[in-house]
Amino acid sequence: MRVKVSFYSYLKDLTGCATTAEALTNGSTLDDLFRALVVRFPKLGSMQNATLMAVGVDYQNRTYVLREGDEVSLFPPVQGG
Amino acid sequence: MKRQVTITADPINESSLLSRRVMSPGMGAVVCFLGVVRGTEGSANISGLEYEVFQRMAEHQINLLLDELAKRWPIESVRLVHRVGLVKVNEPSLWVEVVAPHRGEAFAACQWLIDELKRVVPIWKKPVMGDT
Repeated sequence: MRVKVSFYSYLKDLTGCATTAEALTNGSTLDDLFRALVVRFPKLGSMQNATLMAVGVDYQNRTYVLREGDEVSLFPPVQGG
Repeated sequence: MKRQVTITADPINESSLLSRRVMSPGMGAVVCFLGVVRGTEGSANISGLEYEVFQRMAEHQINLLLDELAKRWPIESVRLVHRVGLVKVNEPSLWVEVVAPHRGEAFAACQWLIDELKRVVPIWKKPVMGDT
């Protein structure tokens, strides 16, 4: 299956792109996706514990099981206001 | 509870917002908060902050917060405006208005909403260096 991935804030700088796609085996979790992305974008590895992940417009934890076509967003802690 | 959420690159026009306030006769408190960009970031002078937003998720998360706020306090209305893009020093980036029957719930709800906004709403800021 394939999922769409968007990066925000300085994760865009670390990866050098705002969006990408990743092919994963069925049953993969957000944690599996993050590990696959670190292989492609090694600088993301330093953000392992500081990256928030959302599917669509909702936060999800790393055990969330992905589905075909999911839109995943990765970003650092938020700073609004 | 009435709500109005605006995330915009346009400057926040406080007087226009105030002129459009609507409240019923039973209301006794209006709390307004204005968040303004400071001229320093740590020890460095800055000329502004560049705000980035994940707009669709930010609007959704703010609405979830307002759902929760409505369960916690008897609030009549909340209006919230968050500016994005470049916001210069001394300009407002956030405007929040809470209308309630009494000041206690108005202050508490406003404080809670801003604290939670800073915790969960996907907006980020990057300092733009230089003196104003």
